[in-house]
This record gives sequence, C-alpha cells and structure tokens, in this order.
Amino acid sequence: MIRSFFLVYGLFVLAAVSFAEYRGWSLSRVNEVPNVPRSVRDNPGSYRSVYSSYHHYTGGK
Amino acid sequence: MSPMGPAPAGSPQVRSLNCPGCGASLTVRSFGNAVTIICESCHSVLDAQDPKLKILQQFHAATIEDRPLIPLGSRGSIRGVLYEAIGFQRRTIQVEGVSYSWHEYVLFNPVKGFRYLTEYDGHWNDISILRALPDLSAGGATLKYLGETYRHFQTADAATAFVLGEFPWQVRVGEITRVSDFISPPRVISSESSGKEVTWSIGEYLSCRDVWKAFKLQGDPPAPIGIYENQPSPMSSNVKSVWTMAGVFLILLLSLAVGVYWMESDEQVFEQMFEFNSSAGGEASFVTPVFQLKGRTSDVELTTNAGVDNDWIYLNYALINQDTGHAYDFGREVSYYHGYDSDGSWSEGKTSNSVTIPSVPPGNYYLRVEPESDSNRGLIRYVVTVKRDVPQASFFGIALLALLVPAGLITWRSLNFEHLRWAESDYGGMPGDGSLLGMVENIADSMKSSGDGE
Repeated sequence: MIRSFFLVYGLFVLAAVSFAEYRGWSLSRVNEVPNVPRSVRDNPGSYRSVYSSYHHYTGGK
Repeated sequence: MSPMGPAPAGSPQVRSLNCPGCGASLTVRSFGNAVTIICESCHSVLDAQDPKLKILQQFHAATIEDRPLIPLGSRGSIRGVLYEAIGFQRRTIQVEGVSYSWHEYVLFNPVKGFRYLTEYDGHWNDISILRALPDLSAGGATLKYLGETYRHFQTADAATAFVLGEFPWQVRVGEITRVSDFISPPRVISSESSGKEVTWSIGEYLSCRDVWKAFKLQGDPPAPIGIYENQPSPMSSNVKSVWTMAGVFLILLLSLAVGVYWMESDEQVFEQMFEFNSSAGGEASFVTPVFQLKGRTSDVELTTNAGVDNDWIYLNYALINQDTGHAYDFGREVSYYHGYDSDGSWSEGKTSNSVTIPSVPPGNYYLRVEPESDSNRGLIRYVVTVKRDVPQASFFGIALLALLVPAGLITWRSLNFEHLRWAESDYGGMPGDGSLLGMVENIADSMKSSGDGE
C-alpha cells in the first residue's frame, strides 16, 4: 500500500517539476496589471507602480 | 499420507483412564507419549508412565484456573501438518515486581511428534525444538543458527503457574526455569535451563488470525497488544522498497535537472546600464527599448547590479507587453552596507538582486523603471539584465525534499517500531552504542526481519 502510494507520489513529484519548469513557474509572485495604456511609453511618469508606496530600508547595522 | 501431512486418526483416538486422586475420567490423546497428565477435575499432576498413574503433585488450591483459547482436543493444521492440542500451561516471569504471563499449548501429531504454540497478549509463536545447538557468542549477546544472527533480548526466571492436559516432560506447577530469548524477527530462539539441562527451541511469529483459521476457532481472536519481541515490523519492508524507489526517483530528478539545464535557453534578451542621480530631482521613471521574448510561455529573470556602497537604491519595475498592455509589476531593492565595529568587520546586503517573473507569454516587451534612493546621494549606476527561460533550481530542491521527507518519515516509523520492541527487552532500548553505525545496523536488521516475514 505504502509502496504503491510512494510510487505514484514520486511520479507525481517528477511530473510536477517537469511541468513547472516547462511552464516557467516561479516561487516569486508579481502583480499583474492588465491594459496598461500605450501612452506609458511616451510618458513613463503616468504609470503608478503598486510598489511606489513601499517603505524602503535605509539601514545598515 | 494426506495433503495435510501425517494426521491423527480421523476421529480422536483416546484412551480412558481414571484419576487416582478424584476418580474422574482422564482423556489421553498422545498414545503413551505423554510423561505427565493433569486431571482437569482435581488438578492432580499424574505420572503418565506409571501404570498406577502416581500423583506427582496437586495444585488445585494454589492456582487460578485459566481457560485455553484453543480448547484441548482441537485440531489444526500448522505448516501443512495436522496437530491436536493436548496440553496447556501458563508461565509467569517477574520483572521489577510486575508479573508477565504467557500461555503455551502442546500440540501432537503421532508421526511428527510434538510442537508448541505460545500466546502472549494476542501475539502467537509457532515453536519447535532445535535439533542442532546454536553457536552462542562469548559474551552471550548474540547467537548464530543456520547462518542467521540472533540478538539477546531477555533473560528471566519463568515459573509454571498452571497446567492442563498432557505433557511430554515431567511438568510441575511452581517449577522454575531460566529462559533466555534471542531474536531475529520473525524468529526467536529460546533456551530453557533447569539445573544442568538446557533445551533450545525456535519460534516463528504467527498472526492471531492464522491461528484462528488453522484451528477453526469461533469468533475473533484477541487483538495483539503492544509490540512483541519477534513481531515482524510492518514498516521495515516498506523502508527498503521506499528508499529503493526514492533512489530511482532521485536519479530521475537529477537526469531531469541536467535535461532542463541543457534544454532551457537561459537566453539574455536585454542588458543595459543606467544612472540615477538622486540629487537631480524631477521625474525619475523611464522606459527601456523594446526587446523580444521568444518561444513558449516561460519565466523571465531580471537581475539588477547596482554600484551601491553603504547605500541603497529601490527600483519599481513594470515589464509591459507592448502589444497587449499586460504588465508585470514588481519592486526590488539593492542595498549594501559594511563597516567595522567592536565585533570586527560586518556587512549586510549585496550589490545585486534577481527576481523571476513566472509564466510570461512570448511577445514584445519593454521595462518601465522608476528608481528611488535617499535624496542627495549623488549618482548611482546600475545594470539591468533580462534573461528568458531560466531553469529554477528551487523546484528541484523542493522535489528533493518532497522525495526524501516521506522516505525519512517511513524510516522513522520503522525505527520507532524497533524502539518500542526493544523497550521491552533487558536493555530498555535498542541495542548498540547510540552511534550512527549502530543505528544503521538496527535499520538493516529491521529490514531483514521484515523481508523474512513477508
């Protein structure tokens, strides 16, 4: 029972890794924004990044 | 000879005698092979080889009656031979003031002779007398028999507490023998010494359901309690096969990794150096030239290398598809600080940062970049590199863990089984010196035992 389960499980793990690599999955997550206007190329300041309010680290020890 | 091997006659052949103690009728099933017979009525131990059935002992006042799970006279097939249960005894040992009792059944076949079954807390063993002496090690910690090594488990003084039926030896209630068990699950070799006489026997673990089936007993057998000394581990055969499979899977995973690193393009599609003057003020954002992401939907890795020294720069990025307007929005900080204090030199951060954007379809893209830093930091140079179809080592790491963790858990369960087994021994734990080598030996023993038990 455990052997059969592990066989199926191991094959699943290998298949999942293969699929993840093929599809270009990543552990990083980024925000996706649809329909950004073409005018951004001419006026980059018109686009507001969702990260622009990020509180930046200014430290050091 | 029948397919069941030599069998007692079709109907029980018994000889009727009368107990000289109480006059009750005695049933003799072993055709004169018995040395002692116990009267079920008055619990007199009688000398079966004496024509007058001399009373050797009367114990009825000193013992509590114990009912055999296999009724005397029952017949059952053990390893293809039909045996009849003719005797029953309860034996008891004392360990740290606690009494532990087990039951022994004497089985008889007129051709094959005697065989024994033992039962303790629902655990059964099929016992036969050894024909050859085992090779006991100098310290008595192990013995070898037919090429197999048995480890000493327990030695105790066993007292006969109750007897019933017929026995091929001069049984007595209260008789004490020194019993030593050596195990190599599912087998156990026991020595019983009484005075100068030592008897060696070998037992093999039997499931209670097999015993019930063999003797066609009614109802369900009492469920085994705890783990018995020579009980085969249900997990250890899995340990061997699961690690074998895990090894094969790891080889396949390694092959897959080599294939992925070989096949994936890891193509650099954009690289450019930029400068950011935080003192300049005004709109800092800009866009890069358009670059093409080819091939199938795949990942994109963006690396920022910045010339920061006790400084930081934060970059708001948007990877924008020029044709569809679909954007991937993310921010990355590059900071690097270092110095020297009373603890010595120190450093934090690094001058580069990478991020992987998952599943980006092919198309024409550009980056919108908006750098930030503290004002009046002056000029910071940074290089942005974009690569397409980059292998992700993290998935192989996760897969490695995903394969090793279950195999490790199964091994742990198997070791735990062995730990519980040996907790009941004279050693109170698994034998060995606690070293890694000792642990590996225990696992190997455990695997072997289960392989034998299958």
